[in-house]
Order: sequence, then C-alpha cells, then structure tokens
Amino acid sequence: MATLRLDKLNLVYGGKGNAATHAVRDVDLAVGDGEFCVFLGPSGCGKTSTLRMIAGLESPTSGEIRLDGRVINRLYPGERDIAMVFQSYALYPHLTVRGHFELPLNAHKVPKSERERRVAEIADLLQMEDVLDARPRQLSGGQAQRTAIGRALIRQPKLFLLDEPLTNLDARLRLETRAALKRLQSELGITTVYVTHDQEEALSLADSIVVMHDGRVQQVADSRALYADPVNRFVAGFIGTPPMNFAPAVVQPGTTGLKLEVAGFVLPLTTEARPGVLGTGAAVTLGVRPGDVGLDGAPADGMPRGRVVVVEPLGDERIVSVALGAAPTADAPIWKVRAPKHGPAGGVAPGDLVGLTIRPRGLRLFDAASEERVA
Amino acid sequence: MNASSATVSRTLVGRVLWYLPVGLIVLFFAFPLIWMVMTALKQPVDVFSSPPKFVFAPTLDNYKRVLSSDYMGTVGNSIVVAVVSAAFSIVLGTLTAYGFSRYTLRGQDNLLFWILSLRMLPVIAVIFPYFLLFQRIGLTDTLLALMLVYSIFNISFTVWLLKGFFDEVPREMEEAAKMDGYGPWGVFQRVALPLVVPGIATAAVFNIVQSVNEFLLAFVLTQREATTAPVALLNFLTPLGLDWGGISAASTMLVLPVAVFAVLVRKHLIRGMSFGQLE
Repeated sequence: MATLRLDKLNLVYGGKGNAATHAVRDVDLAVGDGEFCVFLGPSGCGKTSTLRMIAGLESPTSGEIRLDGRVINRLYPGERDIAMVFQSYALYPHLTVRGHFELPLNAHKVPKSERERRVAEIADLLQMEDVLDARPRQLSGGQAQRTAIGRALIRQPKLFLLDEPLTNLDARLRLETRAALKRLQSELGITTVYVTHDQEEALSLADSIVVMHDGRVQQVADSRALYADPVNRFVAGFIGTPPMNFAPAVVQPGTTGLKLEVAGFVLPLTTEARPGVLGTGAAVTLGVRPGDVGLDGAPADGMPRGRVVVVEPLGDERIVSVALGAAPTADAPIWKVRAPKHGPAGGVAPGDLVGLTIRPRGLRLFDAASEERVA
Repeated sequence: MNASSATVSRTLVGRVLWYLPVGLIVLFFAFPLIWMVMTALKQPVDVFSSPPKFVFAPTLDNYKRVLSSDYMGTVGNSIVVAVVSAAFSIVLGTLTAYGFSRYTLRGQDNLLFWILSLRMLPVIAVIFPYFLLFQRIGLTDTLLALMLVYSIFNISFTVWLLKGFFDEVPREMEEAAKMDGYGPWGVFQRVALPLVVPGIATAAVFNIVQSVNEFLLAFVLTQREATTAPVALLNFLTPLGLDWGGISAASTMLVLPVAVFAVLVRKHLIRGMSFGQLE
C-alpha cells in the first residue's frame, strides 16, 4: 500500500500564446495509505487531467508526483505500479474476460500457475466465474464494469485510480456498484483516487474529498466539513442538493453588534456567526443552506419574507422556491427552502407571501469580491 | 384463410420481394464471371454460336490445353508477386498508418497527401523511368522488380485505408494497455493490431487483386522469366484469331486463387468494407 503526494502540479495544454489552456494549477495534495480520496468538481475543472498525470498518461508541465516518496513523473505508465479504471471501461472486443485479467499479468511476466491462481481469485472476488470466457459484447453493463475493475486490481497495484467509473451504469446499478466498490476498497485497503462530478457519489464514498474548480484545489476535507464549513462560495454552492442559497448583503452597525442588510430585511449577526474581520459597510454574500431556512405562512413584522415562485413536491417534503423581498423584483435572489408537507407552510402555492426564519448558526458569509469565506 | 397462414404468406411474399431484386443484382454483376466459366467449358463451335448457347456439351479440352502450356508458370509468378508485394506493403503500411494515426508529425498532412499522390499517378507516366531504372540496376525481367513497383503503388492505398481504421481505435483502449504495463510496441501489438484485422484483410484483398490484374507494368518490365499471367494471356492471341476457350480457361485459373483467399477472409472483409465500426 502506498501514499501519494502531489507538489505544485501544473498542466498547460497547447503551450503557444493564447491557445494555451492552464488545465491544472499548483495542485498540492497528500493522500494517505489506504485512503479513499475523491476528486470532485464540474466538468473542465482539471480533475481528470490531474488523475491522468498521476497515471502517467499526461506529462505535468511542472511539479512533482511522488508515490511512496519516490518521484514518478518520468516513469512510463506501466512502470508506476498504478492501475486505472476508465470511464468507458476500455475493454478490448477481441479478448475474453479471462484475457482481460491475464493481460496485465502477461505484461509483468507472471508465471502461468500464479496467473491462473490470481485469475480465479479475482473472479471469485468480483463474482465473475461464470463469464470468464465471455467477450465484452456479451457482458451486461455491470459485468463490463467489474471486468475493468478486475483487470486493474489483479496485479495488486499500489494505487488504484478510477475515472468516473459509474457514469455509464443505470441508477440502481450505480448505487449497488458504489456500495460494492466501497467495500472492496476497504477490504483490500488499497490507496484510491476516484474522479467524479457527482457529489452524492463523492460524499458517500470518500474518506477525503478534493473539490476542484478552474484547475485549482478549492478545499480538501471530509464530507461533513465540506458541507458545514465550505472555505469559499464555490464549494458552498457546489456541495449540497439543493445548493446553498445566496444573496448579496451589506454589513451595518446595529444596536447590539453588527447586523446584515439583505434584500430589504435585516438580520442580526450573532456571535455564533463569527463576525471576525467584518467591518461596517463590507459587501458580502450571504449563504444559507436550504435546511437552515424555515417557512412561515404568515410573516410577522420585520421578518425576512418573499414570494413563492415554484413548489416542487418530493414525497414527504417540498422544495419551495422563494423570491426574496416583500415585492420581489425580477432580479431578486431566489432561495430554495425545504418545507415538510405537514409543517406550518405545507400548503403554500406560487404567488403566496411567506415569512422566512433563518437559523443563526446556518449563516455563512463570503467576501463579495474574493468569494472567500469570511464568517 | 386463418391468421397464421396469412402471416406465412405475408413473410413469403416479403422474402420473394427481397430476394428477387438481390438475385437480379448478383446475376448482373456475376454474369461476366459466369460467362467466362461457361466459355471455358465450351467447344470452339459453341463459343461462337448465335444465339449464345446456355446448354451445351461441356469439355475440358480448353483446360487441358492451358495446363500443358507454360501458362501455369506465369500464374505462379503472378501469385508470388502479388503475395509478396501485398505482405510487404501491409507490414510497412500498417506501421506507417499507425504512426500517422497516433503521433503528431511535422508536415503530417503534406506527407499523407504525398503518399496518396503516388496513387494518383497514371502508371503510363512512370513506366519508362521505371524501365530505365531497372535496366540500369539489372532488374528487368525479374519478379523482384514487379514486387517493388507493386509495393510502392499498394503502400499508399494501404496507409490511407489503415489510418482510418487506427483512428477508430479508442485511445482509452491503448491507455488501458499502457496502464497494464505494456510499452509502445506491446500496445500496438496487443491492442491496436488485433482491432484493425478487418482493415488488414481488406487491404490484403485489394492489394492482391490489384497486383494480379496489373498488365501495363508487367508487360514493359518483363520479357520471359518473370512474365505474369495477364501478360501471358496475350499468347492466346494467335495469327488464327482469339482462342476464347483458352483465354477463359486461363482466366478462370487466375481468378481461382484470389477468390479462394477472399472467401477465407470474408468474415473480416464485411466489417472491413464498412470501414471500421468496431463492435
């Protein structure tokens, strides 16, 4: 098993003049022995490029990749002791499942008896004994996926890379495979780097999540910390379904401390909201998770309020979209609020005026310009 | 009429409507071949009969006459030249096509066009330069000269055909093989090559047909020893007129080995003709 370190990793495509794309910028990362690390981000954020550099399929423009302390930048992919599962599985139409399992062993000149033992072992582990002699076109989606995983794991690599491996599976199979993958990884204790754009996948699988955006690492944390303590507006908006609600706000002096002026209403900034370096007049972005906002059918005086725009029924609860303000303008921020079906605002309809109760602990403030978290 | 017999007759009508035009098209294209085989089995008097005879007493005289002449030696020459030049151009063409498909080279488009332009050249334009060249180096009337010239013409076709096939091999498949521990040669041999087998089969058939058919270069570059079958067919042009029965029998024997080869690789050929489409 192994540890992985990335030091100031950069990747620039193209290279000449304006056509150059800086796909990965100054990525520093440490993945511990046996850790399940997930790269999460929207498409084009540099997560797959980073993975490909670790695999050796892409050469970093600058920076170092260390596996167990050894710099592997200049090694050919096959010499790195890293295995990878591709999004398309990359199975060979001319080989059987057994052929796929044997291919990496042949490359490393594993003797025949040992090869047969390992194929039997991996087929047992992945429950593929029955399809060992089938070719890819005869396999179901799940079997094809397990073939790709088996081919990667059979030579017991130090590091296991997966590039969006569940994307091509249907929803139910995805859930099953996700659980199986998690179990497999913890049983084998193999250091794993997994790339996905699906936050649910990331949150459920990862020991640590690396959120990437614009080629940079935004935050490295476990799922709880990412959700509760996002370091900037991007992470706050990317993690969570529905995403965090935002509204522009200005910090004002209040009678007992600072207060926040948002869309025509005022919120006290309590100590719980950790005002920190905030000064009077600072332009900030207020962020509140949908679960930290409550709906009140009849707004009391001075209470934040808004008009219902859309109601999305989701079984036991509803996601209610509210345009902020007593008489919201066309560009008023729209917040999504979780409302229990039988709660005080269970029967709201589009056009209704509703009050919003915001949990003081749920307030997050981001600098309006830099988008960094300030409170 | 009950429901099931209605279905049967409907499918029967459907089949007839499908196979009738298919049969007519096949007949149209196969007719010269059929006519050739029939003529090869006719007596001279039946060959020229008007209206043409479709029913006649077959004879093997034409074949006997051809087999007892030195024609079969020229068929041997044709086959050796075709197979060697096809093999040579496939080995070189496969490697070249893979290089063009997978690596970015300076002036790549110009190079590819230059390779293709070899094919655009009318044979007649290069025939005398070739003749003088081979005469100078003492290769006239040798099989080697024909093998070299045919290879040059075949390589350009092979490179273009196979480049298309290699372009269709997904990069991820090759990357997966790299991750599995294979170097560039291993990736080519274990992954890329098996996936373009249909293309190679197609190129082989085209190359062989091209070489077996070729007349002009063989006519100019050979005299006796290295004469190929198409040139030898001229011998059936006698002062007494054309020996149609002999020509047909001789042609049948030239077509036969090519047809056998095409049948052997037909499984790959169908996928090859549809240009790629892996699975």
